Amino acid sequence: MSVQDDLETVEWDVSEDAHITVDNEQCITCEDKPCLHLCPAECFDYQEDQEGGIYFAYEPCVECGACMVFCANDPDKGAVSWSKAEGGKGVEFDFG
Amino acid sequence: MTDVAFDVVVVGAGRAGVAAAYKLADEGFEVALVERAKQPGMKNVTGGVLYGSILDDLVPEFPEEAPLERHVVEHNIKLLHGDAEVSIGYRDLELREEPNYTLILGKFDRWFVDRAVEKGVTFLSETTVQDVTQEESRAVVHTDRENGDIACDAVIGADGVNTTVGRKTGIQRTMRNEDMALSVKKVIDVGRKTIDQRFNLDSDEGAAYIYTGFPQGAATIGYFIYTFDEYISVGAVGGLETLRWLGDEGYGETGTPLYSLLEDFMELDNVRPYVQGDAVEEYQGILVPEHSYDTLPDRHDRRVALVGDAAGLVLNKGYTFRGLDYGIKSGLVAAEAVMECAEDGDWDAFGRRYDTSLEDSYVLQDMKQHRHLPKFLKNERMYDAYPGIATETLRRMYSAETDASGLTWRQAYRAFRRSDAGVLDLLKDGYRGLRSL
Repeated sequence: MSVQDDLETVEWDVSEDAHITVDNEQCITCEDKPCLHLCPAECFDYQEDQEGGIYFAYEPCVECGACMVFCANDPDKGAVSWSKAEGGKGVEFDFG
Repeated sequence: MTDVAFDVVVVGAGRAGVAAAYKLADEGFEVALVERAKQPGMKNVTGGVLYGSILDDLVPEFPEEAPLERHVVEHNIKLLHGDAEVSIGYRDLELREEPNYTLILGKFDRWFVDRAVEKGVTFLSETTVQDVTQEESRAVVHTDRENGDIACDAVIGADGVNTTVGRKTGIQRTMRNEDMALSVKKVIDVGRKTIDQRFNLDSDEGAAYIYTGFPQGAATIGYFIYTFDEYISVGAVGGLETLRWLGDEGYGETGTPLYSLLEDFMELDNVRPYVQGDAVEEYQGILVPEHSYDTLPDRHDRRVALVGDAAGLVLNKGYTFRGLDYGIKSGLVAAEAVMECAEDGDWDAFGRRYDTSLEDSYVLQDMKQHRHLPKFLKNERMYDAYPGIATETLRRMYSAETDASGLTWRQAYRAFRRSDAGVLDLLKDGYRGLRSL
């Protein structure tokens, strides 16, 4: 099993608007890029052709808030802008 | 302009928020319970046991009526050390007299909200709160609904670990890696009979398992297994700062994904027999507050009170997680503060009154008593040297391969001398351990 297989078990009602956005300019100077291993839904992917090497997808987000803490709230990082998904949208757990 | 008005707005339909709303509606208050999910529980995740006596007064019939999973009569702590595992198991039929249960929040929270609505609570689903403002003689909750501003006398922020109410009002300080643990969890369909056999349970009985010591020496990394009616949940918890630096799998050649640790844990020979099964029903991720009493964030302003996870009211005791009952209790304390303010009309005192009562409640008394525990649990010797000493001592007692002559205490002392821990460390840690419990 990989986490991608596990994510197949999760349901979303995906919003048209991203609740989390990434300012890739801030990723250029980020050396360890903790988003790549700390996001439990692998929303962050390393892609060389992206500015700062980060491709971000909000769609598979499980809404844990980790990226707000390890990126948005870190004065040396701050690429992530974080808010809660709009009413009725986003992840839908059945067995929380 | 504001379109609607209530006495109180409760933000977030977890157990803390629903308990507050339920109690207030029962006392005759006009209460709006605002929830961003389509159905209660859809955004909610737990990895704990409900220590249910907290609901005895509010909903005495809950053990019969609520959708509970299993009655927890057994707790296990397992210290992993290489190939070995040293465990303490506690099973007690007297625990049957206590209403402690495992829960699936998708079912429980839906039931609890239905009961609150019967009491007269106005439930607003699919509504995300964007801001809370406090004016001269009222507070206003701003939502993403059209004309969605709701005026009220007091706001109860029960909106979880990433509280919008706490952040937008500026009550809560900015959370950093050191404040938070990440948890990932899988719910696996194993079937009732297999659970009964695998965990040695009668079919309404439940067991809880807590593991530490994997990877060897990794402080603040833990795992849990809970039994539900037909499912089991297995999860991992780790401090964000630990996960950032542990191992070398990350981009900067530091860090390990928590889901990889969970995978590896589930493959351990000692663990696999409990958790095997291909039918993963759901994968979840959540942040868990990791404060000690001394580092708890602020939780009140004039007309705003933060309860439950929004106030960081969670305690990892090492042998169990407390949080579900702390949340409910804090919600009830906030409801009592509302009643006090309605009595004398001094709504500006709401937040302060809540805070004072919470300080006197068992929630903060408990956290205060365990104020040194979070630091104690960050001690690496707890995850390496000490399980190692226990393992080596037991190996010498039980293995025919080793020389088992001599008294057990002498074997333990020899194992200790061979470990990395010094006498002073042991004395200090022993003292700290006793003090933090």
